Amino acid sequence: MHAELAGIRLEACSADIVEVSARCGRAADLAALAREMGSPLPAFGRAAIAGGRLALCVRPERWLLLEARAPAGTTAALWQAACAGYGVAVDLSSGLAALHLAGAAARAMLARTCRLDLDPCVFAQGVAAATIMAQVPATLASLPSGLLLLTPSTTARHLREWLAAAGKAFGLSSEPDLTLAELLGRDCR
Amino acid sequence: MLRIPCPWCGERDEIEFRYRGDARVARPAGDAGPAAFTAYVYERDNPCGWHLEWWLHTGGCRKLLWVLRHTVTHEIRKVGSSLERAVPSADVEP
Amino acid sequence: MRGPGRIARGLLTDAARPVGFRFDGRPMRGLAGDTLASALLANGKRLVARSFKYHRPRGIVTSGPEEPCALVDVIGNEGREPNRLATTLPLYEGLQAQSQNRWPSLELDARALTDLVARFLPAGFYYKTFMAPAWAWERLYEPLIRRAAGLGTLRPSPAHGAAPAQTVHDHVDVLVVGAGACGLAAARRLAASGMRVVLADQDAVLGGGTLLNDGATQWREAVCAELAGCAAVRSLLRTTVIGAYGHGVFAALEELAPAETAAHGGLRERLRVIRARRVVLATGALERLIAFPGNDLPGVMLAGAALGFLRRYGVAVGRRPAFFLNTDEAYEAVFALASAGIGCAGVIDVRASSLAADRARAQGIEVHGGAVVDAVSGGKRVRSIEIAGSDGRRWRIDADCLLMSGGYSPATALASQLGAQLRWQEAIAAFSADLDPAFGQVAGAARGIFGLAAAARDGEAAARAIAEALRPAVGAAGPAGVVGAVGAAGAGAVRAAVELPPDPEVTPIAPLWEVRGRGKAFVDLQNDVTAADVRLAVREGYTHVEHMKRYTTHGMATDQGRVGGVVGSAVLAEARGVPLAAVGMPKPRPFAQAVPFAALAGGEVGEHFKPKRRLALHDWHEQAGATFAAAGLWLRPLVYSRQSGWDPVLGEARAVRRSVGIADVSTLGKIDVQGADAARFLDFIYANTLSTLPIGRARYGIMLREDGMLLDDGTASRLAAEHFLVTTTTANGTAVFEHLEFHLQAVCPRFDVLLTDVADHWAQFAVAGPRSREVLGAVVAGIDLSAEAFPFMAAAGATIAGVAGRVFRISFSGELAYELAVPAQSALPVWRALLDAGRPFGIAAYGLDALNTLRIEKGHVTGAELNGNTNALDLGLQRMLKTSGDFVGRALSQRPGMSAPDRLQLVGVRPVDRTQPLRNGSQLVAASARRTSLGYVTSSTPSVGLEGWVGLALLAGGRRRTGERLIAASPIDDAHTEIEITSPHQFDPENVRVRA
Repeated sequence: MHAELAGIRLEACSADIVEVSARCGRAADLAALAREMGSPLPAFGRAAIAGGRLALCVRPERWLLLEARAPAGTTAALWQAACAGYGVAVDLSSGLAALHLAGAAARAMLARTCRLDLDPCVFAQGVAAATIMAQVPATLASLPSGLLLLTPSTTARHLREWLAAAGKAFGLSSEPDLTLAELLGRDCR
Repeated sequence: MLRIPCPWCGERDEIEFRYRGDARVARPAGDAGPAAFTAYVYERDNPCGWHLEWWLHTGGCRKLLWVLRHTVTHEIRKVGSSLERAVPSADVEP
Repeated sequence: MRGPGRIARGLLTDAARPVGFRFDGRPMRGLAGDTLASALLANGKRLVARSFKYHRPRGIVTSGPEEPCALVDVIGNEGREPNRLATTLPLYEGLQAQSQNRWPSLELDARALTDLVARFLPAGFYYKTFMAPAWAWERLYEPLIRRAAGLGTLRPSPAHGAAPAQTVHDHVDVLVVGAGACGLAAARRLAASGMRVVLADQDAVLGGGTLLNDGATQWREAVCAELAGCAAVRSLLRTTVIGAYGHGVFAALEELAPAETAAHGGLRERLRVIRARRVVLATGALERLIAFPGNDLPGVMLAGAALGFLRRYGVAVGRRPAFFLNTDEAYEAVFALASAGIGCAGVIDVRASSLAADRARAQGIEVHGGAVVDAVSGGKRVRSIEIAGSDGRRWRIDADCLLMSGGYSPATALASQLGAQLRWQEAIAAFSADLDPAFGQVAGAARGIFGLAAAARDGEAAARAIAEALRPAVGAAGPAGVVGAVGAAGAGAVRAAVELPPDPEVTPIAPLWEVRGRGKAFVDLQNDVTAADVRLAVREGYTHVEHMKRYTTHGMATDQGRVGGVVGSAVLAEARGVPLAAVGMPKPRPFAQAVPFAALAGGEVGEHFKPKRRLALHDWHEQAGATFAAAGLWLRPLVYSRQSGWDPVLGEARAVRRSVGIADVSTLGKIDVQGADAARFLDFIYANTLSTLPIGRARYGIMLREDGMLLDDGTASRLAAEHFLVTTTTANGTAVFEHLEFHLQAVCPRFDVLLTDVADHWAQFAVAGPRSREVLGAVVAGIDLSAEAFPFMAAAGATIAGVAGRVFRISFSGELAYELAVPAQSALPVWRALLDAGRPFGIAAYGLDALNTLRIEKGHVTGAELNGNTNALDLGLQRMLKTSGDFVGRALSQRPGMSAPDRLQLVGVRPVDRTQPLRNGSQLVAASARRTSLGYVTSSTPSVGLEGWVGLALLAGGRRRTGERLIAASPIDDAHTEIEITSPHQFDPENVRVRA
């Protein structure tokens, strides 16, 4: 139809999500601990992949860790026990939904609602940010595979429907769910 | 629309923030009495000029920021976090 | 004389592609590339509208978006849309346009009679005349005036909902507004400096004024080709910057070309929100009218418009034009029309002599120097004009159109919106504005630099200044490590290939605003404001330009007075006897032109108007036949029945009272509070004490606002020594979380506390009723549920249907009840397991309505009672307020007025006649015929635990009135019910059941 029809793939990604937060003044200890556990914590505004985990930092001294699915609560409990004294780990596996967008037009479509500068030179690979999209909170990260979007689970369907409607003009297709491993293994550069 | 330069997230649209009032009034000590609390809750200047105010970055890092904003030009001259830096004193001048 | 028509090839029209359209039902033909206005003129149509107030015949005045008169209704699939500008509306096959504001027809408008009584209809007429009697305004005057006045008619067709508009967020280094010589040169220079640029122009093609000058064609084409090859520059056509909001935010309305609209499923416009670090305002200058009697007759147009119609569309606006002007620049139109072979009736130049007049005379064009036009003859079109010489001599010439030009005013609206002050420039007799360099630059004709070559040079200089100012930041890291802009790749020298021809030397303007004579001289053609109206405003005391504007309506409505604005100010200045510079112009605000509401709404319409929050079990509830209620953003199951009435609700509530029921209460706000200071912080936030709460226990708590009023209630559970879970009401989840965040960061910044919103993570179910323990027994592992081991207000982690979760023994219904929390992803299996376990007991899922029935008869409060105006004492919660230690709201909750005996207090109400219903919102009045409201019913329901209806009410001095009888009056239902005042706790006041 026109140039926008470059195609976008929209997938949901299934992962455990834990938010690890540093206690007052213990961010350095927490970072050291995470390094030991094979998951160096990225700087603010960055996303990092290591050891099969994805870590994002969009709030000061707080990290969102995405890991492979495990029985409910176990991933968070592991972190909570490991970081006792330095920080707390709260399970958000059910609280946040992860969506994944890939395709050349994904950024142009998101510019319909996303107020961040999504120019690839600015929102480059490895950048992460919390913002608002379609009137709901959204955390966006630029990964080798495309754009990851974390959004509260109760409004995830709303956001998905919004993306599907906006994506029509861009040839958006909804694809089957991904696992985290599939997502992290993919590189669309 | 304001663009507020969040110390963490960078410049962001006003819609990401929740206004939380005058940052020049500090909460009195618990035993300060009703007059002090009445002033804290109800008494506000309406300056034509620089104003120090709280903005909670609910759509971003969720930090509470103090913002020094000009009420006529909307110029924002300084922004800081309640945690990282002391709030400037009441008689603010940029 | 043949009148207007197409005589040549236009720059934008395609002679090979005719387009059929209708105007007032009459079929006509135009060309692809035409606007409706050019097509109407090509069809010889001069009279296109009737004026707003006097219904005078009006024609096309301009060739662009500043058009005051040629507004039409467009009739399409989406209904009838008013006030489209014929001068910008692209012609398309099948376009149906209708003239506005006439009855029965354009040629014969009955209301034109108003023009004859116009002497009695001056500015302010409505305010003075339609005053009394008061009843007549609404019933008589307003309908009459509305029918007679106004512009077009809006009649949307509901069957064809327009495709939603789009919003697009843009980020650039520099926004260049206007793509004339100045804007093109600026964009080219900025691109060469490595900047990300958006070049926005309201026109359908790039070029602005260069489109009207053959000598500039080569340069324009070269620059446009260069920009087209530059990835960092995006050119947005048909894009009008409608607002400048400071902080580098601009709103622009992009109208899609007809072909694009078809390709996008009917999408007509995009609202672009452009964030730019700097702006170049290359918005050019607008030609202005001269106020002289008859300056509104069809055929009186701006000289530049005639030039525009000729060059762009090959359309001559007349066959024997006369010109009335006062600048050399306006002679461009004289020369262009002459060289197109159109015989000039004469040029009336206010100035005695000028370089341009000499050039015109050399071409054999007659120039009447030092003269003015003071009358125009003709009924519905120009036939002749009367000229007054400076020596008092008068003469008449025949002409079929009069092309006027009173000079050029820089377009200052956007600069003014950014706070720029207007500066009077004597040399061009116009106001201009300069921008604070922190915002950007005004360049070219927009700051009074006329001439294409000069404007291009100025645009380039502005671009250089901006590139210089931004250079240190370009490529540097932003605050969050985000790169501020693209690097300087692509920076390089600007190719100096083709040059613009040098600008001719000019004789300066001789300002002329008004020529006085017999008849109306308009300063605002759209609102029918005359120079005399402006003088009347001064006589009435409205001497400030802003007051004059509002008294006369000068400069309002869709054209925003762009053609005559400064003329009105000039007449005002003269009437006041002060210089024009001292009068100034009214301050322009966004929007700079008419904007459809649809464009502002963007995609957030219909289904997407606001987000919907759905429960994890939404689909289950739907399949179970639930009717949903919108509660804030939530969709909550109201009752598991599609039938109306109370029966299904009461059936659900009865199951809870008699056996067991299950409700999805996941909408409750949930906040995880951890840290060494968690208990201390919650003691500060809650009005009651939380630090004494043992691990494994929950406590009901209330929060106050700092003014002492109740904010919210809920439970707090201690999961570990430094770990609490706070629940809030559904309605206040977000507000309470922000309340906690604010106080933690602003008042307790040194506390070791971490707050996490876990509302969406946990699905929560209430299992309530005498058999609830038995239901849980089959599903919950890891805790002893006996009354002794797990008493009322106990809390513990447990395995629920194999899922790690939490069990709380809390009750909103007043029954033995539990709330179970599991991660939302496991909600469905757990919910199903509970239903299976409850089947032997006849478990019923119950919705929000039954939940309300249960809590109302139990006397538990919710949003209706926690309404922001009630305090703890009002609701009988005063014993919860801790007596020692500080907490939010403590000081002001102790104000004497907070315990005034006549405050509205929570009570229970029941109709004396048990068969009578109660209505929410009923006013409580004394049993006598007294009309004084003593309070009102906040919540009511038919009861399942008691006979008849029960309710809660807020009643003045209510607690003292227990046992009294009052009337619950609902005037809108014409219902008066005698009620008795009871304790709010009507069902099981001794709390026997809940502790079972």
